[in-house]
Amino acid sequence: MMTKGLLLTSTAVALSLLAGAAAAQNVVTVNTVQIFGTIDPAKISDYTDYMAAVNLYDGLITVDGDGNLQPQLASSWVVSDDATSVTFTIDAAAIFSDGTPVEPKDVVYSFERLLRINQGPANLFAGVVAPGAVVDNGDGTVTFTLSKTFAPFMATVPAIMILNSDVVAENAADDDAQAWLADNVAGAGAYLLKSWDRGSQMTIAADAGYWGGWTEGKIDEVRMIITNDEATVRAMAASGELTMTSQFQSPETLAALDEMERFDVVSQPTVTAFYLKLNSRMAPTDDIHIRRAIAYATDYVTIREVIFPGEPMNTPLPAGFAQFHAADVVGPSYDLARAAEEVALSAYAGQQIPITLGWVAGATFEEEISLLMQANLEQLGFVVTQQSDPWNRITEIAADVATTPNVNQIFFGPTYPSPDSMFFTQYHSAAAGTWASMEWLQDPEVDALIDAARATGDVALQAEAYKAVQVRLMDLMVSVPLLAQTQQHAIDTCLTGFHTVPMQSFEYDFHRYSWTC
Amino acid sequence: MEFAAFLVRRVMWSLLVLVGLSVVIFLIARVVPGDPARMALGPTATQDQVADLQEKLGLNLPLIQQYGLFLGGLAQGELGRSLLTEQSVNDDISETFPATLELVLFTILIAFTFGVPLGVAAARWKDRWPDNLVRAIAILSAVMPSFFIALLLQVLAGYVLQILPTTGRLPRDMEFQASVTGLLIIDGLLAGRLDVVGQALRHLLLPSIALALATMGQIARITRASMIDVSRQDYIEAARAFGIPDRVRLFKYQLRPAFVPPLTILGLEFASLIGGAFVVELIFSWPGMAAYGIRAITQKDLNAIMGVVMVSGAFFVVVNLVIDVLVGIVDPRIRIRGRRA
Repeated sequence: MMTKGLLLTSTAVALSLLAGAAAAQNVVTVNTVQIFGTIDPAKISDYTDYMAAVNLYDGLITVDGDGNLQPQLASSWVVSDDATSVTFTIDAAAIFSDGTPVEPKDVVYSFERLLRINQGPANLFAGVVAPGAVVDNGDGTVTFTLSKTFAPFMATVPAIMILNSDVVAENAADDDAQAWLADNVAGAGAYLLKSWDRGSQMTIAADAGYWGGWTEGKIDEVRMIITNDEATVRAMAASGELTMTSQFQSPETLAALDEMERFDVVSQPTVTAFYLKLNSRMAPTDDIHIRRAIAYATDYVTIREVIFPGEPMNTPLPAGFAQFHAADVVGPSYDLARAAEEVALSAYAGQQIPITLGWVAGATFEEEISLLMQANLEQLGFVVTQQSDPWNRITEIAADVATTPNVNQIFFGPTYPSPDSMFFTQYHSAAAGTWASMEWLQDPEVDALIDAARATGDVALQAEAYKAVQVRLMDLMVSVPLLAQTQQHAIDTCLTGFHTVPMQSFEYDFHRYSWTC
Repeated sequence: MEFAAFLVRRVMWSLLVLVGLSVVIFLIARVVPGDPARMALGPTATQDQVADLQEKLGLNLPLIQQYGLFLGGLAQGELGRSLLTEQSVNDDISETFPATLELVLFTILIAFTFGVPLGVAAARWKDRWPDNLVRAIAILSAVMPSFFIALLLQVLAGYVLQILPTTGRLPRDMEFQASVTGLLIIDGLLAGRLDVVGQALRHLLLPSIALALATMGQIARITRASMIDVSRQDYIEAARAFGIPDRVRLFKYQLRPAFVPPLTILGLEFASLIGGAFVVELIFSWPGMAAYGIRAITQKDLNAIMGVVMVSGAFFVVVNLVIDVLVGIVDPRIRIRGRRA
C-alpha cells in the first residue's frame, strides 16, 4: 500500500515537474500606445503596424542597429554598375511558416501586389520600380529593374515583406486577399500570430521551426498590450505583468519604474529629429531675419534638459547619419541679443509682429515649449497667438500655405535608413503640402541637390550633395533643429537586445532579443 | 389593445429618431477636421495614394449619394468596413459591444444594489446621521469624475495593494472564447468554467465601481426624495395608524410607488453608459465599444463612427422603451392613466 502510494506520489510530482518545464517560457509583455491597424505588409504605415510586421514577416533584407543592410531572405545581392538593377539571391534554406520554400516568384507576387494596392510602403517605390519590373530569373534569383538611378533604393527594400504567394493567391477573392490578410499571416517571420483582440492586445508566439534559427534565451511569446495610460503602465509594472514600456511613456513613469529593482531605463539616441518648422511663405516668417531671430530666441538647453530629452542638432540631419552629416556647420544657439539684432534687420522692424505658434493638442511638452517660445518672442516685440490642433487637423491645415501656422513643432524620423528619407519628404518641392513639409520651402537649389544625390550611386558624391543641402537649409533657416530624439524604454533587467534602428519599429524585432535570467 | 397601439407608436417614433440621428451624425462626421483617407494611410502616404483611396471609399461623391449608399448598406444590416481595423464594422461591434454591455450591466447592478437601499435608509432616517451620510456619499460620488475614481482605484488596488487586476477582461494566460453571448460571466457559466467566471468578476470590479459610484449616488438621492414624497400620502399615514410594521410599510407600500423615478434614471444611465464608458475603458484597457468609438472619432473612421453611434442610439431607444413598459408594470396607475388619456 505504502509502496503504491509512494509510486503514485512520485509519478504525480514528476509529471508536474515535466508540465512545469514544458510551461516555462520566456514571455515578454510590452505596452503600445495605439492599436495595430493592419498586419497586411502591403498596407502597414504606422509604428505599431511595422512592429507586428517585422516579427510576422521577413523581407529580402533587414537593417541592423547601425543602419547597415543585412541579408534576410536574400542571402546576397548584386547591384548593376549603373545602379538601375539589383539581383537578389534567395537563401536556399528560407522557408515560410508552413514549411514551403521561399522562392523568387513569392518576391514578384509580393511586390506586384504592393504596387496594385498602392498603400503603405508602395509610396517608396512610386516612379522608381514600375509594375512588371521585378522578374523571377528562374535560377533562384530575382531582379528589380529601376526606372531610373535611385541611390536610396536598397535602403527602401527592407520595407518589402515577402508573402507566401501560393497561399495568398488561393485566398485572393476579389480584393487581392486584403480581407484575408487582415486576419491571417502568410509569411516567413520568426513569430506566428497567436491572438489579436484589436482593441486591447496582440500576442505573437515564436515559430519553433523558424528558418533563421534561434539563439539561447529566445523570447517564446510577446504580448503587446494597448494602453497609453501612465497609471495603467505603472500598475502593470508593479504587478510584474510588464516587461518593457513603450517609448512614449512620461519621464515620471520611467523614473518610477527605474526605482523598481526589476527595471532599467534604457536611453539611446535615434535619428528622429524634432523641429520648429517655419512657414517661409507667410508673414512674418517669410522674412529670413525673422526666421533667424526665432532660431536665436529658442532655449535649446532648457528644451532638451528639462522638457523633452534629446541630443543637440546643428543641422536638420541628425548626427546618426554620420557620413552624410555636416558636422562643421555651426548650429543656432540661444542668444536673445542676436535675435533682437535680426529683428532689427527685418522688414518688420519697429512694429509689433503678430506670429502664430502651432503645436499638437494634448502633447503637454509641446505646449510647454510653445509657452517658452512665447515668453522669449514677446521680449522681441512679437505678438504671439498660440494655436493647438489635434493631429488630424494639423495634417489638414498643412495642405495649404495660408492655413499653416508660422511655427510648427514636428517630429520626423526616416522611414528608411537613408538621408534621402529625411530630405526628400521634408524639403523637396515635389513633397510639398504635408505635415512633414510645413516650411513650404520650394527652393530649386535644394531640389537640385536632393535629385543629384538620388541620381548617383557614388557615396562620396551623395555625401557632398547632402552636406550642401544642410548648409543651404541652415542659411535659409526654414527649420530650427531642436534635438535628435532619445528613445527611452523601461526594460526588465533580464531582457537584452534592444537597440534603436533607423527604420520604423525594426528595433522591435524580438528575434534579436534574449532573456538572460 | 391600447398597449399594442402604444408600442407601435413608440416604435415608429423611435425609428424616426434613429433616422434623424443618422443624418446628424453623418453630417457631423464629415465636418470634423481630417481626411479619413490620409488618416488611414498614415503620415507618409503620397497625395496619389490618398486620392486613390478617397476614390475607392467614395469620398468624392456628393454627400447625398454617400448617405444613400450608407442607408442602402444599413438596410441590409451592413455597416461598412473600418479603415482602422480593416474589418467589417459589424464584426468590430460584435467583438466590442459585449465587453461594454457586460461592464455596463455589472455597473448598473452595483449602482442599483447599493443605491436603492441607501436611498431607503436615508428616507427612513431622514435628517439623521444615516441621511446625512448618504447625502455626503451621493455628493462626493457626483463631484468626482469617473476617470478620477478609475485612476484612484487602479493605483490603490492595482499598484499599492496589488489585490485586483487593472487591465483587460481576463488574465493574459487564460484562454477562453466567449462564443455564445460574448458576456464572459454567462458564457463561463454555460461552459462550466467557474475559473473564467471568477476571473471575469475580478476584472470587472474596478472599472464597474469607477462607473457605478456616480449613478449609485444619483439613484440614492432620487430614491430618498421619492420615498419621502410617497411617505406624505394619506394611505401611508393610514398604514402607520393601523400599526403596520415599519419594514412592511417601507418595502411593500412605499418603495413600489417610489420606484418609478429611480427606474427611469436607471434606464437613462444604462443607455448613456454604453457610450459614456470610454474613459474608464481606456484606463483599464477594456476592449469595449466605447473605446472603439473614440478611436474611430479621433481617426475619422467614418463607417465605424456611424456604426457605433447607430448601435448606441438603437440601444438607447430600445432600453427606454423597455423602461416605459416596466414603469407601467411597476405602477399600474400610469397604465390606467394612459388608457383614460
